[in-house]
Amino acid sequence: MSTRTATEERAVVIGLEVHVQLETDTKIFCGCSTEPAPDEEPNTRTCPVCLGLPGALPVLNEGAVEAAVKIGKALEADIPERTTFHRKNYYYPDLPKNFQITQYDAPICADGELEVAVEDSRRTIGITRAHLEEDPGSLQHAGGSIDTADHTLVDYNRAGTPLVEIVTEPDFRSPAETRAFLAKLEEVLEYLGVFDATRDGSLRVDANVSLVPGEAVADDGSVPEDALAEANRTEVKNISSHKGAEKALAYEVTRQRNALRRGRAVDQETRHWDESRGITVSMRSKEAEKDYRYFREADLPPLEVSDWRESIPIPELPDARRERFRAEYGLDAESADKLTSRKAVADFYEDVADRFDPDLAATWVADNLLGELNYRDMAITDVADRLEEFARLIELVDAGELTTKNAEEVVLRGMLDDGDDPDTIVEREGLGTADTGEVEAAVADAIDDNPEAVADYHDGDEGAINFLVGQVMQRTGGSADPGEVNALLRERLDE
Amino acid sequence: MADVNAFITEETIEGADDGPLAGTTVAVKDNISTAGVETTCGSRMLEGYVPPYDATVVTRLADAGATIVGKANMDEFGMGTTTETSHFGPTRNPVDPDRVPGGSSGGSAAAVAAGEADVALGTDTGGSVRCPAAFCGVVGIKPTYGLVSRYGLIAYANSLEQVGPIAGTVEEAAALLDVIAGPDPHDATTREAGADANYAAAADGDVEGMTVGVVPELFEGAHEGVVETVEAALSDLEAQGAETVEVSLPSVEHAVQAYYVIATSEASSNLARFDGVRYGHSAGHDGNWNETFAETRSEGFGEEVKRRILLGTYALSAGYHEKYYAKAQDARAWVRSDFDDAFADVDVIASPTMPVLPFELGEGIDDPMTMYLADANTTPVNLANLPAISVPAGTAEGLPVGLQLIGPKFGEETIVRAASAVEE
Ligand SMILES: [Zn+2]
Repeated sequence: MSTRTATEERAVVIGLEVHVQLETDTKIFCGCSTEPAPDEEPNTRTCPVCLGLPGALPVLNEGAVEAAVKIGKALEADIPERTTFHRKNYYYPDLPKNFQITQYDAPICADGELEVAVEDSRRTIGITRAHLEEDPGSLQHAGGSIDTADHTLVDYNRAGTPLVEIVTEPDFRSPAETRAFLAKLEEVLEYLGVFDATRDGSLRVDANVSLVPGEAVADDGSVPEDALAEANRTEVKNISSHKGAEKALAYEVTRQRNALRRGRAVDQETRHWDESRGITVSMRSKEAEKDYRYFREADLPPLEVSDWRESIPIPELPDARRERFRAEYGLDAESADKLTSRKAVADFYEDVADRFDPDLAATWVADNLLGELNYRDMAITDVADRLEEFARLIELVDAGELTTKNAEEVVLRGMLDDGDDPDTIVEREGLGTADTGEVEAAVADAIDDNPEAVADYHDGDEGAINFLVGQVMQRTGGSADPGEVNALLRERLDE
Repeated sequence: MADVNAFITEETIEGADDGPLAGTTVAVKDNISTAGVETTCGSRMLEGYVPPYDATVVTRLADAGATIVGKANMDEFGMGTTTETSHFGPTRNPVDPDRVPGGSSGGSAAAVAAGEADVALGTDTGGSVRCPAAFCGVVGIKPTYGLVSRYGLIAYANSLEQVGPIAGTVEEAAALLDVIAGPDPHDATTREAGADANYAAAADGDVEGMTVGVVPELFEGAHEGVVETVEAALSDLEAQGAETVEVSLPSVEHAVQAYYVIATSEASSNLARFDGVRYGHSAGHDGNWNETFAETRSEGFGEEVKRRILLGTYALSAGYHEKYYAKAQDARAWVRSDFDDAFADVDVIASPTMPVLPFELGEGIDDPMTMYLADANTTPVNLANLPAISVPAGTAEGLPVGLQLIGPKFGEETIVRAASAVEE
């Protein structure tokens, strides 16, 4: 039994290459827009440069470099004195020049890290490098997959979109860690304003996965180079989200584990994540690995970036904001987490917390609003143009003009389901807080109509008061404040 | 004069009504993009290719009032020293139609020498402006790398090449340089330096007090008649008040090897885009695309282009990159520093442009090594990103001989001045 476990116990080692589409106005080497026009025709958002016409030359978009420097700062990476571009040579129809302009031995960022919370522990993932490159065009295989298509069409509208490729150290020990890392990375990129998660294909992930003998893992969790070199590695491509990463890698780890358990070797190969089938499929073996013949791109002079680190500011990042929210607004860890994971949420919370009671605002944004949005499979970005309406709702509650119950169950839900603004709903449903006369009348009626409950109360049954509060709430259509009703009832009953 | 086949396409492109080149006719080498006018690079691969945009130098010609009269013949993709590798047939030398005009800008130089254009644009990657200028008895300038925009120039070796003027006189060539020089937002390698220079005005023949460096290494093995003619021209400069001193450039014996490794490496990548998908020759679109690409390229490219693409692919390949490409870059750095050292002591450096007299048609085309070695004096200039001019120095055996004057970076005014004294 013990020998069996020893041979089967394998540690998971995963490293990621994350391609991030940068939010710039224009492409990385020409003036074409990066924003697809509605219903645009293929090959219309192009020019001689991004079509690779003979004689056309690339000119670097400094906006893309700035975005990469921001990412480098957020990842606590080194920004070199100067950065250079190389050509990666290979033939593929989506590549207009049959080479890709990328970076090789002098990338814009090197040697960074990102701290991630995984369940209850915090992990620091090493960032080997991050470099700029151009996106190829896109291929449409008409009538099936690449193997079965009748013909293939090429669209260069996407060609030249700026990408940053972030390469991590093989620091992940489970698929769940990659998911947490990617979610955190998206958070940070969004905070930096360099990334739009809602854009199709804005995040593309390749993962290197291997299993090493458990005893090879050092006490600090690191895996020595030689153990890594000995284990066969697969590269899993075509992952497009943090959720997809966890699924794809869980599948791949199980596949490798099963192979080893059955005494078969894991092939060193590239595998394709087929999201719809939930499996990875072999693409080509590593033996056929291409020789990209990298060499300097002479059309782009080296870029001196030594002082860019100082001159390009970055905003407060999620971790720092989380700590500040706790200190400044007295939030607990869970609320602070919920309120800072997306920049739009944090911005909205900060706005309402400064105007109204921060505790009330926290409950309303973190629990009520996000909860109702989540229930409807929506995100804050889907209601980005209605934030002032939600602020008004919080204002009504904060001012005592609307009960929490009505605000949540009637107004908020109505706002989300029917698209009305809060004042319209309050008016239509007659939900203004009941006036004192109305509440007093209801209290008197409740006492008169429920002599048994009154008797129970006098006998010391505390449950009876809750029953009576419910009776009053019913009579006022929920528009009274339960606390006030409770106090008023006791007053009358104790007279 | 019999037709020398100077042009691939004869079509007139009118420029602005006024400007410094109003009334001047220009031949433009056929690797420089002209919107709406076929641009072939002398290759079957681009036969029928009509660019949708103008090269920056073409825009500048038009703005200056020049009239483009045609697209000049050239070695295929600039790969040659004789203009015999053109898919559209060889150009003949107007001085002696049985001889080659030099290359690769042979059509440009021949058009000027034959009077078919007043001036011409060529391109110079390893001597392709200066060689045909020397062989046809006209003036050619290879500008400092970064002085003239390459936007729209169909690349052969992009770290080495520049567009350069060819004309009957130094002053005309300099005036053409004035029009095309200067920074271009479409070419990130262009520089501000030299933008406010006046090259035509520098053609004043005043070499009083100028120091001319003479490099023995660049005379070694040259044709005797060439050496005599060039030495006579240097004596004439001395008579006009210039001083000649000997300078050594020990690195230049490696220049041709380094040049061919770097140029072919870059070419293997620059010419990768010709796959038949977007423009130019296509072998069809059926079947596996790797096979279709290969078929397109084996049909579209000529022998010399294929040879250089294969050499360059090899030099960049894993396992050979360090041995060839990296070594060639080291040699390039050495050539640069040799020139830097030399220019601490001299104003210009003189040599024969070509160590040989114009070849007879067909003489060398089957022997690439002879052709490559003929570039010994011109390639060091491209490796060092320097400016150089070839000016007629006289004749030997009745054939033109060119004197090459090399300047420091952005020293075009100095080489124009010295060359204008040679003319007198
Ligand atoms: Zn474009």
